[in-house]
Amino acid sequence: MLEIRSARKVFYKGQADEKIALDDLDLRLETGEFGVVIGSNGAGKSSMLNAISGALVLDAGRIVINGDDVTAMPVHKRAMRLARVFQDPMKGTAASMTVAENMLLAELRASRRTLRRGLNPARLAAYRERLSLLGLGLENRLDTRVELLSGGQRQSLSLIMAVGGSPDLLLLDEHTAALDPRTADIVMQATVRAVEALKLTTLMVTHNMQHAVDFGHRVVMLDAGRVRLQIAGDEKKAVTVPDLIGHFSVKTDRMFLAS
Amino acid sequence: MDFLQDTLASFVSLVPVTLAQSLILAFVVLGIMIPFRMLSFPDLTSEGAFPLGGCVCGVLMAAGMPPVPAILVALLAGFLAGCCTAFIHLRFRIHTLLAGILMMTMLYSVNLRIMGRSNLSVFGSPTVFDRVPFLQPGFPASKIVMAGAIGLLAFLLLLHFFRTEKGTAVRAVGANPEMAEAQGINVWLATIGGVGLAGAFSAASGALMVQSQGFADVNMGLGILINGLAALMIGEAIVGKQSVLRQLAAPFVGAVVYYQLVSFCLAAGMPPPDLKLATGLFVLAMLALPSLKRSRGPAPARETFRE
Repeated sequence: MLEIRSARKVFYKGQADEKIALDDLDLRLETGEFGVVIGSNGAGKSSMLNAISGALVLDAGRIVINGDDVTAMPVHKRAMRLARVFQDPMKGTAASMTVAENMLLAELRASRRTLRRGLNPARLAAYRERLSLLGLGLENRLDTRVELLSGGQRQSLSLIMAVGGSPDLLLLDEHTAALDPRTADIVMQATVRAVEALKLTTLMVTHNMQHAVDFGHRVVMLDAGRVRLQIAGDEKKAVTVPDLIGHFSVKTDRMFLAS
Repeated sequence: MDFLQDTLASFVSLVPVTLAQSLILAFVVLGIMIPFRMLSFPDLTSEGAFPLGGCVCGVLMAAGMPPVPAILVALLAGFLAGCCTAFIHLRFRIHTLLAGILMMTMLYSVNLRIMGRSNLSVFGSPTVFDRVPFLQPGFPASKIVMAGAIGLLAFLLLLHFFRTEKGTAVRAVGANPEMAEAQGINVWLATIGGVGLAGAFSAASGALMVQSQGFADVNMGLGILINGLAALMIGEAIVGKQSVLRQLAAPFVGAVVYYQLVSFCLAAGMPPPDLKLATGLFVLAMLALPSLKRSRGPAPARETFRE
C-alpha cells in the first residue's frame, strides 16, 4: 500500500520563478492496485515519482509504504521496498557491466550484500530462466555487456530487474516512451503480465492515453501539483480515450498525438 | 653497432633493479586504476598518498618500529587520505580532480610535518626485504620476490573482492551511480571506501619504496601520477580491460613493461629531464586515441565520468 499525505514541494522558493511542483498532494494506492498517472507536462508527475523514490526531498508531507513512514529515508534505503523503471533505458542499467551482473545487482536490492561470490551457477541458471520469459534471447547473452543491447532489450532487462524480488511498490516512469511502437508494446505486455502474476502494487506514469484506458485499476490525473481527477472501478472499465482527453484543461500537442 | 651493443648491455644490466622497482610501483598504478576504472572517479590523491606512505613508514622505522607494522600504519594513513578526497567530492560537490589536487597539496605540508624535515635516512633499519628465505638481503632478487609476492596476494584478494556481492555493488557505483542508488547501494559508502582503498595501495607503495631505497623524501611522489597513468594505459593496451581479471592484471603488467621501457630509453641515451615530457606525450596519445578513432568509424560507447 502506498500513501502520499499532503506532499508539498516548491522549487525556487521566494524567487520570481517560484514553482509549486506538489501542492498538498494526497494519493492512496491499495496493496495490489495498479494506478496509472496522467497529466500534462509540468503537472507534477515526475516530482511525485521522485518524492516516492526519495530522489526529491519534500518540503512538507509524508510518504508511507505498507504502513511504514519512509519520508526521512534516502534513496538507497527505500530501494528495499520499491523498484523503479526509468524512461531512459540508459538510466536503469549499468552499461559497462554484463546482463548477469545487472541481474545480480537487482536481486540484491533488498538484501545485505555479502563477501561471497556474486555470480554462482545457481544464480546464473535462475537468471537464464527469468530472462527467457521475455522471448528476446537475452537468456543466451548473460555475459554480454548491457551497452551492446538495443534500447528495447535494455528496457526489458530493466523491467525484469525491477519486478524480480516482488517489491512492495513498482514505479514505472513513462518506461515505454523512448521505445518504437512495436518494442513499446512488447515491454508493456511484459509489464502487465508481471504485475498481474505477482500482484504488484504499481504506479505507472504515462502520456499514452490508450495505455491509461487499457491498463490499471485506477486512473489518476494530476494538474498543477494536485490530484485533479481519479477514475476507478466500473467507471474505469468504461472510460475511453476521448473521455480522458476531455479532462485536460490544456491540451498539449503530445496528448493529441497520443490519441 | 657499438651504440646498440652498449645500449643493450646497460639495459640488460638494469633489468633486475628496474623489475624490483616496477613491482613496488605497481601498487601505485593499482591505486590509480581502482578509482579511475572501477569508480569512474579520476583521482589525483596518489601523488600525495605515495609520499605520505613513505614519510609515515620512514618516521616509524626511524623510531624503531618493525617493518611490517610500519607498512600497515602507512596503509591506514593512505586510506584516510583517500577517504578525505572522496568526502570532499561528495559533500561539497567539488570536481573529483580538484578534490584530488586540494588533497595532494595539503598532504605535502602534512608529510613535512610528519617527518619534521624534507628527507630522512632509514638505511640499515630492518625491512620486509630482509625476510626472504634463501636470498641475500639487499639484492634485487629479494625485492623482486617479496614485492611480487605481496603484489600477487593483493591481486588475488582484489580479484575475489570485485566478484563478490559487495564488490559488484562497488563497480555498479562506477558504472552508473544513479542506477546503483536505485538498487539500494549506498553510493557514499562505496565511493569513500573505494577511493580510500586506492589511497591505501598508493601509501603501501610509498612505504615499500622507502624500505627498498633506504630513505624517505617529501618529493618522492613528484610525477608518480603521470608515470602510473602511463603504466596503466600500457597495461590496458596489452591485457585489455573487458573483465575484472584483465582490469586488475593491467596495473601489474603495465608497471613492469612501462618501467622497462623507461629504463631502455635512458640506456639509449635519452636525457632524464626529457622523461616527463615524453611520458606526458605518451599518456596524451593513449587518451586521445579513442577520439581520433571516433572521427572515422562509428562512435564507440561513451565513457562517463562524474563531475
